[in-house]
Order: sequence, then C-alpha cells, then structure tokens
Amino acid sequence: MEKKVPLTIDGKNVEATAGQTILDCANENGIFIPTLCNHPALSPIGACRMCLVEIKGQRNLQTSCTFPVTDGMEIQTDSKAVIDARKLVLDMIFSERNHFCPYCEMSGNCELQDLGYRYRVDHWVFPTYTKAFPLDATHKYYLMEHNRCVLCERCIRACDELVANHTLGLRQRGSESMVHADGNIPLGESTCISCGTCTQVCPTGALFYKRSAFMGKDSVTKQVKSTCNQCSIGCGTEVVTRGGNVLCIMGDWDAPVNKGLLCKMGRFEPLYDTRPRLTKPLLRGKGKSEEISWEKAIQTLAKQINTIKAPEIGVLAGSYSSNEALYLIKKLFNQKLQVSNIGLINTVAPRIFNKVQSKLEDITKSDIILVVGSDPLNDQPVASFIIKRAVDKGARLIVVDDKKNGLAPFAFMNIEMADISTAIDVARRAENPFILYGADITKAAIAELKKLEDKVNYIIVESGVNTVAAAALGLNNGYDPAALKLVYVLLGEQNCAGDDLFKRIPQNAFIVAQASYLSELTEKADLVLPAAIWSEQSSSLTNIEGRIQSINKAVEPLGEAKPDWEALQLLSIQLGKDITVSIDEVSTEVIKSLK
Amino acid sequence: MAKVKIATDWLAGCAGCHMSLLDIDERIVGLSELVEFTSSPITDLKHPPKEGVTVGILEGAICNTHNIEVAKQMRERCDILIAVGDCATFGGVPAMRNLVGTDVALKRAYIETESTVDGVIPDSLELGRPLDFVVGVDKIVKVDLFIPGCPPRADAFYYALTELLAGRTPVILPPEVFTYD
Repeated sequence: MEKKVPLTIDGKNVEATAGQTILDCANENGIFIPTLCNHPALSPIGACRMCLVEIKGQRNLQTSCTFPVTDGMEIQTDSKAVIDARKLVLDMIFSERNHFCPYCEMSGNCELQDLGYRYRVDHWVFPTYTKAFPLDATHKYYLMEHNRCVLCERCIRACDELVANHTLGLRQRGSESMVHADGNIPLGESTCISCGTCTQVCPTGALFYKRSAFMGKDSVTKQVKSTCNQCSIGCGTEVVTRGGNVLCIMGDWDAPVNKGLLCKMGRFEPLYDTRPRLTKPLLRGKGKSEEISWEKAIQTLAKQINTIKAPEIGVLAGSYSSNEALYLIKKLFNQKLQVSNIGLINTVAPRIFNKVQSKLEDITKSDIILVVGSDPLNDQPVASFIIKRAVDKGARLIVVDDKKNGLAPFAFMNIEMADISTAIDVARRAENPFILYGADITKAAIAELKKLEDKVNYIIVESGVNTVAAAALGLNNGYDPAALKLVYVLLGEQNCAGDDLFKRIPQNAFIVAQASYLSELTEKADLVLPAAIWSEQSSSLTNIEGRIQSINKAVEPLGEAKPDWEALQLLSIQLGKDITVSIDEVSTEVIKSLK
Repeated sequence: MAKVKIATDWLAGCAGCHMSLLDIDERIVGLSELVEFTSSPITDLKHPPKEGVTVGILEGAICNTHNIEVAKQMRERCDILIAVGDCATFGGVPAMRNLVGTDVALKRAYIETESTVDGVIPDSLELGRPLDFVVGVDKIVKVDLFIPGCPPRADAFYYALTELLAGRTPVILPPEVFTYD
C-alpha cells in the first residue's frame, strides 16, 4: 500500500501520498494553486514560478509543482509573500514580448490571460515591447508566434515526452530564449510530423491553428466529444464547431486510448479534405446519372434485390463502416436475405495467438517490441508515438517488413520477413516482448511468431478503420464475385481502391455505391447513396484493442447525405425486414462476437 | 453640495472609450445631478478648466509629444486621474508599432501603402512629434486608477464613478467588468 503522510495546507489537515508534489496534493484536496508551465500530461519543470508556495522552515518560496511533500509539512498557498511573489512574476512575464490581448487569437482561451485577471494586471509595470520576435508561418497547419511565447516549454516537453519526436527545443538564454525546431530551421521544413500536440498544450497564443484562427473562443463554440475514424486506433477527439461548421479537432485528454494525443491524419487532414462530396442519391439512366430522392433510391434498390436470388447478391464493406452498419449488413443481408457473398474491401490480419490481446499502453512496459508487417508510423501514427516513447526509455525495436517501414529509423534491427527467426531469437531472450503485427505478415512469419506464444503480449494492427468489428461479425469470408448480379459497396469515406476493387465486381452487375466522395466507383455505379462523414453522424467504432467507442454528430450532414447505417435501415424497412437498431444492441452484439 | 467636476480627453485612441462612457445611457441623467462634465473632446470646452477638476479621464496611448502635453496638463488639473481603455493602460493597438519601429511604421503608412502616390510623411511644426516608443499613460504621469478593456465596459465607468462619488477608494472593479478585450 502507498505510504501516506500528514501535512497542513493553509491550516487544513490533509493526507498526501509519499512522493507526491505539493501541487498534486493541493489539487486532490480542492486547494487551488495557479500554474502556467505545469500541465497534467507533462513532467513538471518549475519554470514559470506561478505555483510558488510558502513552506515553513524553507528559506525561500518553493515551486509546488516540483516540491515533494514531507511528513508534517506546513504550507501556505495564499500568504501575502506568496501573492506578492506571484504578482511580480506575472508582471515580469507580461513585460516580455507581446501579451496584449485584444488582437490575440487565444484571447478568451488563454491561461496567461486568466492569471492576469486573477491577479488584476491592469497596466504594465516593467518596460514592454523591448524586442520584436519573428512569426514562423512556414507550417501548413499552425503558426508559431514567438511574440506570444512565455517559454513554459510545454510544447517542447509534449514533443519529447508524449510524441517522442524531439523536433522542438530551446535556443539562446534568458530573455533572448526562443523555441525552435531542429536547432533553428523553419517549422514547416523541420522534422515536425504535424501531430499538433504542441498547439494543444500551449497556454497562450504562441502556437495556434491557421484554419480556425480568430473564428471564436470556447465560450461561443460548441465542443462535441467523439472518436477519430481515420485509422484503427480510435483516438478520442473533441470536435469544435460554430454555426454548423467544424473549426478544429482537439485530442480528448480523458480518452483512454490516446490520452489527448492526435496525429496529422486525425487532427488536420479531415479538415483539409478537398475530395468532392456526394450530396444526393444518383441513379444511372441511359448513360448519364440523375439526382433522385432517397425514397426512390431505396425503392429502386429494393426492387433490384427482390428480382434476383440471394446467391446473386454481393456486399462489400469498406474500412470506415460503423459497427451499426456492419451489424445491419449481417442482420439484413446475411440472416434475413440469406446472402453469403459478403466481404471486406480491405484485408484482415490473421489471428495467431490463443490468448487475449493487450492494450496499446502495455507497449511501454515491454523491453523488446516487434513490429511485423505493419507500418504504424504512417498508418496508425498515435500507436507509433507509444512505440517511440518506449524506445526512448530503452526498449529495443525490431521492425520486420519487406516494404519501406516508417519505424525503420527508430529500430535496433530491421529485418526482412524471411529472416524473422533472428528477431524471434532476440525476443525469446527478452523478459517482456511485445508484438504488433498487421495483414502483411507472411505464413512463414506466422509460424515463427507462434513460438513466442507463452511469453508474448501482442496487438493485431488492422489496417482498416473498423476491420476488427467486421472480422468479429464474420463478414470477411466467402465473397465470390463469379455469379453476382448486384453488388452493394459500402465505401463511406474510403478512397476507391481502383483496380483491386473492380476485380471483385463483375462487369455487368448492378453496382450500388454508398459513398461520401465522388470516385471512380461512384462514376461507374448504377445507384449512388450519399454517405455522411465523420463529423456528421452518430455511430460507433471498434478499435484494435476491441474498445467500442462512439462517434457523435457535431454538424448536420451535407446535402442529403445519411449515416451508413441509416441507409441500410431504410432498406430493411422497404424490404419488409424491419430491424430496429440501437447503439446498445450493436455494442452487445459486437462484444459478444469479440469474445 | 457643489457638483463634482470631471474632465476627459483623448490621446492616441479611437474614441471608443468615450463612446463606451456614453453607453451608460440614461444613468448619465442621474449621474449629472452629482457631477459636472466640464471639458471633453466632444464638448465646446476642450481643455480642463484652470481651477482644476476632481476626476480626470484619459483615453488613448502616449505616442507623440502632443499626447505628453495633454496628459501632463490633465494630471496638473485633476485630483484623481483615471486611465481608461487598453491604449491608456497598456499602450494598446498604437503600441503595435513598437514591434517594427516608428520610422518603419510611418514609412509604411504614408509612403509605401499600395494606394499611395507621391506620399509624404507629415512633419508640420504644429503637429506632435512621434515618439520612438508608444507607452501607456502611467509611463508619463502618475495614474490613480486603471480601467482596462477595449473598450472598457460602460458598467465599469459607471461603477468606478459611483464608487468615487461615494468616497470609496481604491476602486476594485468587479470581475465581470475587468476585461482586456
């Protein structure tokens, strides 16, 4: 059991866990101590000196974020000496660079401004604007305004400790200090991977998004907690909207998977997507397609389905399909219509071990990490942050891949799939090996990995967003295009896979494409059903750890687009096979299938 | 009882703070039973009376020699000087030019703007000389009360004046009207 020590804060008797800092103990006991450089997700450095407290017996005021508690300690958090010191610190912070609020993007969401209000900073005490700093606008997604920087180093710590990318650092000394990328090169040309974590931890307006700048502070925007659907990790997000438009996406600090982190794919790319959207159902007449109503589209589809036999119907589910849609496909097509030709657009990684999968956070506890036939750095970046963090702490990474792998530069060994036995030998000698493998794994490699069954922890890194659920529902076997006369393709937000996809659709089949964006497939399709995208629907996804997480609607769908599952539900009603679906029902079904 | 005299003036500002003062609306009728607005940029009398006023209110930053004269005259002729608005308290928008320098700012404004042909930087002796550095009023004269805000809320003006009339000092603005923007 953890050792407890008694102490007093502002005369109140409290108990602290030995080793805890004064700040943590105060927070636990509902005693407020102001902070600026401190961030719950980062290690404390005591740089800003806002959290100063008076400790009996100590000659000077101490930073509570770094000072550990001791038995019988007597602490004052709001004595005159403390308040005077904090005000002096604040006056000094405000005097350096430009902390004038009205033309700052972060006014209203700024931690420095909050402190100014708290301690009533109503004029500059010391000379200000003595030196102008540059603005770095070279990055595609965010601005680095050095004039607003308070040198709290949160961005640097986030880049080091959370993302393990080590792009940001500090140069010069004292008031000349500046945050820089890669030893002073423009941020846009640096090794920055655009995950945006630095912008999320910045307490002031020094790092902020270009796209949503000056579009509204928290008090006028809406924040909707959701789940990112750009890869199979399923990071928790907070979608910020105003007037029915998405302004930006933030990582949810409370989310169990990513704990606040996001990557370029999740934070920025969905906002910069320029693919043309589909907004109305389209029916191909003689040669050209025309816009029709949903009612007519569903009627047409039902009629098509009713005129052919079950073995002539095929369904292909895309990587983005929600749990609800996949469940409906199973219920409607497989169970009610007796369709067995159901497949997935993307590949499914094989199951190798007869034991329960680990969680992503367990990667940090391992000493040898094997990445086999998958490329998390490019495909599931947040998973690669966790791997890189473990490597920073001394874990050895072995990458086994025949293709160019993003994690290769961080690896202790890079091995081709054929030589996997070398990696197995190393892993066997390790105490706590961890394996992440994907669909690119070869049969021979599977046999070798099997040898580690006893001691290994593992995670299957599916390349498809919701492939875990699709596989769990058994939708990945038995697709044979030979006899098909109608193929229902649930493409969603996925890019049309080109020839690979068309090989699986017979030439003369009636193609139904449920898709969000215009593509080669929707051009060829006989019936197009417009699908809502990530921000426009409420549904759920299953991540690679098997967590079922909900996507919540942040804005209304564009045009007449509908969530993937809603279209299937309409179809089931039209066919007289009404299936009620609720998120709870789907969750139960998916959880049952995963066991 | 004689009315309490108030004088206001503006320096390098935009008149927005004076507009906000007028935004106290009908309460100004009740207020004018207790106070007399002597001089202001929007009255016939432009300079505070020589015999002095109790409260002087200054809007705007100090950015030229003329601003210094006005600020000094107000300070000499009032008992309590209030700096209102972000320019008077922090330097505000005019202080943005500190980040590039006065010469560069003048050149850009009068010569280099895209719409300017044969521009000249005004240098009449009647004009105040621009300072190298824009500062808040407190860097030139002693200020007794700061009311920040861009503009300060009308309620902040009203609160401060009624507190002073009631003889309560120092004036501590309530959090809902203590604002920077």
